[in-house]
Amino acid sequence: MLIKFIGMVLIVSGFGGWGMSGAHRLRGRVKHLRDLHMALGYLEKEITCMYNPLSQALENTAHFSPLPVARLFSATANVLRDKSGVTAREAWLQGIAQLQPVAQLLDSDYELLAAAAHQLGASDAAQQRKFLNTLQEQLKITEEKARQNMESGQKLWTYGGFLAGLLVVLLLI
Amino acid sequence: MIGNDGAKISREVLPYLSPAIRKLVGNLEEHQLAGLEELRLRCGQPLFLKFADQDRTLNSQGKLQADLTRGYQTTLEDVQRTLASISDNSIYAFEEDIRRGFITIPGGHRVGLAGQVVSHEGSIKTIKDFSSLCIRIAREVRGAARPLLAQICPDKANIRNTLIISPPRCGKTTLLRDLACSLSNGDRGRSGLNVVVVDERSELAGSYRGVPQLDVGMRSDVLDSCPKALGMNIAVRALSPQLVITDELGRREDGEAVMECINAGVKVISSIHASNLDELSKRPLMQELLACHAFQLGIVLSRARGPGTVETLIRWDEGCS
Repeated sequence: MLIKFIGMVLIVSGFGGWGMSGAHRLRGRVKHLRDLHMALGYLEKEITCMYNPLSQALENTAHFSPLPVARLFSATANVLRDKSGVTAREAWLQGIAQLQPVAQLLDSDYELLAAAAHQLGASDAAQQRKFLNTLQEQLKITEEKARQNMESGQKLWTYGGFLAGLLVVLLLI
Repeated sequence: MIGNDGAKISREVLPYLSPAIRKLVGNLEEHQLAGLEELRLRCGQPLFLKFADQDRTLNSQGKLQADLTRGYQTTLEDVQRTLASISDNSIYAFEEDIRRGFITIPGGHRVGLAGQVVSHEGSIKTIKDFSSLCIRIAREVRGAARPLLAQICPDKANIRNTLIISPPRCGKTTLLRDLACSLSNGDRGRSGLNVVVVDERSELAGSYRGVPQLDVGMRSDVLDSCPKALGMNIAVRALSPQLVITDELGRREDGEAVMECINAGVKVISSIHASNLDELSKRPLMQELLACHAFQLGIVLSRARGPGTVETLIRWDEGCS
């Protein structure tokens, strides 16, 4: 009887934990999109006001940004600093690859970031401002949608996990 | 010295080239690199290496070739990757340089840019879609000015206002740079002078982010990327020079600024494009300056026996040559 009880608790808590991690991913995505939006604003100032070279601008942005978003900027800056003929586009894509394992973003979010790769550093300050502002706008819209998803989906994932656990227990009894 | 030039080019220029071209040029021996004057990357054309008056290319094994058709074909990717390294992937940080048509890299080497020019109301706004790069190797020739110092500085208390007259690629910038260095450091028992180098095209001092990369002397101040006329006025007002050195007079306001300097008791050494005195006297700017007796000495250069060959010395202060 005790073993059965322990088994039920494990199943319910296991499913509950799975549901909570799903809710955590929803919250994490919103936070990471917001951090990216802020970081790109900082990068824009580094480029269009300070006129710092891209590797320096990215490094400064990495210092300003929280983890894991900082990893995108620091990894890109590291690749660029080598001056081995690598383009900003390639470095940015490598930075995105470094971000993927640690950030809670969707493929569509990475695609949005990747689409900006070929414009990074490749035009005058006015064009860079326009491009970074556009990217920030797109991230803001994405963040808003992610927030709506979070509000509707967070409870669903949390309660859903525990309820699914209970359902499995009932089926097993 | 020549070996040092080769090592300098390996160290300062090669890292900026695209990986494919860097590998080819890296196959050259240092003594071969030492004679390199220009490296030209033109999209879809052979890679050009200019040695004195000879064009050479490199084959796919990195061997020098006189037959240009058998050379490595430069690709758009080569141009883009080289430009990415030169600009640190930061075109926005070089807006002004791009408007002027070149970027200076550490070591004072100049990279000329060609592509689609965007102009607005008669002035260049930017260049985009780059298709060619011309990397000109900056060289210091120590002692290039020594044979002329006796003419320019006849005694310890006197310097003649001097104009160097030369077509392009005859060594006038090298001569001006060595004059700046010699007169600033002191030479032949003469104590050094406060020199201001007004370097509108970043050729004399080869400045990178404002810091001279080539030796222009320990008492020299460099106004980099500064229009000549403006720079000469700033120099007289703010830097109390004894001598102003500037390159390539051409506009009316340059002539006026030269007269301002001379009338303020500041000596001027400069240069102008012309092959000989006849061509020079046809330029309205020079007619005015000669009428005012602005310059006392003229030095005509050519490449007859290599860059820096002195063809004629003109003594305007004596009215004879």
